[in-house]
Amino acid sequence: MAETTIGFEPPALVLAGAIEHPLTDITSYRAVGGYAQLERARAMSPHDVTDQLIQSNLRGRGGAFFPTGRKASFIPTPDKVAKPIYLTVNADESEPGTFKDREIMRRVPHRLIEGCLIAAHAIQSKHVFIYIRGEYSTEYDVLAAALEEARGAGLLGDVELTIHRGAGAYICGEETALLESLEGKRGQPRSKPPFPAIQGLYASPTLINNVETITNVPKVLELGPQEYAQIGAPPDSTGTRVFCLSGNVVRPGAYETPHGITVRHLIEDIGGGIANGRTLKAVMVGGSSFPVMTPDELDTKLDADSLGERGLFIGSGVITAIDDQACIVQFALRVAQFYMHESCGKCTPCRVGTRWLVQILRAVEDGSASENDLEVLLDVCDRIIGKCLCVLGDSAAMPVASCVTKFRDEFRAHLEHGGCPFGEDSSLAHLFAPVDQHAQVTA
Amino acid sequence: MPNFKLDDREIPFEPGETIIRAAQKAGIDIPHYCWHAGLSVAANCRMCLVEILPPPGRPAMLLDILAWDADKQEYLPQKKPKLVPSCQQAAADGMVVKSQTSEHVDVARAAVQELLLLNHPVDCPICDQAGECRLQDYWLEHQGTKKRMRDEPVHKPKAVVFGPTIVYDAERCILCTRCVRVSEELAKDPVLSVRERGNLGEIVVAPGRQLDHPYTLMTEYVCPVGALTSIDFRFKARVWFLRSTRTVCTGCATGCNSFSDFDPRNQKVYRYRPRENLAVNKFWMCDDGMLDHRRIHEGRVLEARIAGAAAAVPTALAKAAELLAKADPSSTAVVLSAEHSNEDNFALLSLAKAFGISDVYQSARPAGQGDDILRHPDKNPNTAGVAALGKASGLKTFVEFVEAIRGGKARTVIALGSATPTGGGAAALSDVKNLIAISTHEGPFVERASVVLPASSWAEADGTFVNAKGMSQESEKAVTPQGSSKPAFRLLAELAALAGKPFAWKKLAELRAAMAPAAPRSVPPESASLGAE
Repeated sequence: MAETTIGFEPPALVLAGAIEHPLTDITSYRAVGGYAQLERARAMSPHDVTDQLIQSNLRGRGGAFFPTGRKASFIPTPDKVAKPIYLTVNADESEPGTFKDREIMRRVPHRLIEGCLIAAHAIQSKHVFIYIRGEYSTEYDVLAAALEEARGAGLLGDVELTIHRGAGAYICGEETALLESLEGKRGQPRSKPPFPAIQGLYASPTLINNVETITNVPKVLELGPQEYAQIGAPPDSTGTRVFCLSGNVVRPGAYETPHGITVRHLIEDIGGGIANGRTLKAVMVGGSSFPVMTPDELDTKLDADSLGERGLFIGSGVITAIDDQACIVQFALRVAQFYMHESCGKCTPCRVGTRWLVQILRAVEDGSASENDLEVLLDVCDRIIGKCLCVLGDSAAMPVASCVTKFRDEFRAHLEHGGCPFGEDSSLAHLFAPVDQHAQVTA
Repeated sequence: MPNFKLDDREIPFEPGETIIRAAQKAGIDIPHYCWHAGLSVAANCRMCLVEILPPPGRPAMLLDILAWDADKQEYLPQKKPKLVPSCQQAAADGMVVKSQTSEHVDVARAAVQELLLLNHPVDCPICDQAGECRLQDYWLEHQGTKKRMRDEPVHKPKAVVFGPTIVYDAERCILCTRCVRVSEELAKDPVLSVRERGNLGEIVVAPGRQLDHPYTLMTEYVCPVGALTSIDFRFKARVWFLRSTRTVCTGCATGCNSFSDFDPRNQKVYRYRPRENLAVNKFWMCDDGMLDHRRIHEGRVLEARIAGAAAAVPTALAKAAELLAKADPSSTAVVLSAEHSNEDNFALLSLAKAFGISDVYQSARPAGQGDDILRHPDKNPNTAGVAALGKASGLKTFVEFVEAIRGGKARTVIALGSATPTGGGAAALSDVKNLIAISTHEGPFVERASVVLPASSWAEADGTFVNAKGMSQESEKAVTPQGSSKPAFRLLAELAALAGKPFAWKKLAELRAAMAPAAPRSVPPESASLGAE
């Protein structure tokens, strides 16, 4: 596998010291100040550590952007509950277009471990689980080796840290499905409330954070919450992001920059613009789960508020450029197929609705659809959004709905043309599509 | 009691109770598939979504959506409230919930309904669930539109035999997981689960296993659609021809509250269904009990007999009266039966009293298997009732009865019931000179009786049964007496009259009034029953 291009615009926090070469061994990590913050944190009261996280306004990098310190403050203190308190790190990175946690685990595994141990101290947890995506075998090896080093150096103290490998289901990146899976059950989300902070892993208080979020924690302490909160686009989008730039750009890669740079800057300056002299048609922002962006929105800043004004989401930091050679119906179909394949099937709208989306989009693509089908398509999206047990259904419906509304002319062109005007020329035509298990069962 | 507002009604609730349960107790059915009051919350069907208004002064939870703007002819961003599952949301004092009065809820229900039927085979004409299927009911109430999907629906396995009692059709299944939860939570045997994911999901039995725990029929009972069918009931009847009465299961001493579903045209009972009674069986019945309706029509004694030969009931009654009138009370005994109601047993005690018979014994069906869920090892419905009624008469056991026969002290016997207990020495019955058996079923009494009077079963008469907890429960008549049978208390009244000592009571109500001082207080059938699932 080709190495991912790594870059940054100062200040690098998460990937600090690891842009040129990975910091996988403990000696080189210590050389850049590693584990100093753990020592400091352990000298502080748990409450003070949480307080620093609150002041920094560090927010979740997994997609929901929830304030990390506040979430930690929901965890009851050990004197209030007769159950263990768990810290669970979500390393089940599976959102299409996302590859930042992978780089973090490969390059700064010790910073993640240090972050885990500081966060564990903040919530007074003695049990940490890192739930890592099953396909991440190199990352698992690197992380496991780093853990052994940290253990050997006596850094874990009385905390037990376990790395658990998933079995390849996208839904297990959803926090409650992750907990079910970690408990050895079928990976399906739980209905909330109760929230994990009260009843999480084994019905005990559980804090769940994304890899990138936790890796920020040592830096919050190192810089101090006030300085951290000045970075990026304060007050709401503080700190940096490891953006995952991919698609039809000249230099795809993982780039750490402060929040608040524009999409245009990321694509054109950092990414070198659209490859092969083509023009940009759409941008997948945040991940495949969110509405797509059109080229006229390129000057939107990559912070939660600026994106939110346009009905967009920062998600897990995905920026995927789609050029004019790609058929947007094929794109929507490919996205819908992904969610149909990954729907756990627990709740009705997602289980049935995602397949229906695929069926209609396929009809549009092959020319057998009518204008009315586009209305049905949008209606199905509306009937999924907000009615499911978790957000997977919304994640399928939102991008599809945005493709139809923002590229209605291209959808209509399919109807008028009696099929895809791009045909075999679309850059997506030969991309891998998941095996249609439904077709197999039918046959 | 705290209240919340559901549409325009105030609904009281117990603290911690969910909206859907409190509404159900108030007689309002919030549409649902996966929720069942007796099972854990799954919240997967999404049919019970409701809109909860924000508390005064607080902002509503809103979602960004795209809505069609007819003037501008395009989809524009709008907001709509985030709906919540009423099966999961605990009620709160003063909460304002919109169910039927929310346009958003309307759309959501229509959506779920449409999606659940999207791949459904709609084979209602040959489906046993037809007529009591939520997919049918809710289509009418919440959808009412034609299918908008043109493609072939998903095909899945059909007529999968899960075990000795249940057949599964995966195409009809809506994956509500009620059956999975019944096996796990009620039967404590997690033998069912869901395999595959997404639209390919189906219910499967654990490898190497069958669905064969003692509560398998509850999986079919909770199935809100026709996915699980009972081999016992499959293709036997159309439910819209059936009528129901509130009965008590007579299969054991638990006394589960049940419905007897019968066809009034042929007076046949086709099935039992549990009837909710939180103090007895909650929402459930065991397979033994569910299948016990077969005994109403199987192994019955439907004609009178004299010395083994068929006879008319009046002739047999006259013969019995003659034997009774001639008998010496000091060598005559009566045998009460734990199989029969208080009414039948009281009538026999009245007869004993009228004719100066002081030896009162009891018979019963043999003991069997029990568990700590519902099944009681005592397989008789009225052991406690017989004990209470017979107490003043010095009620003696069946073993003592056998000893009395051998000692020549029971030469004439009037016996109620059909079975004898385990190790009871049924053979001794042959030594009774004049055995008058008032029986529902073939068995040791009928085989050896001088006179057999055909008694109606529990399903053919009103009766009171006292369960192992000492709760007195009324069971209502379902069908007319089978064959020439009559309720045992009637046969006994006619016998007493023919033998010259008529009872003071003539009607059931008068019998019950006469019985009241001796019998435990009667508990009427649970009137707030919600067992219409």
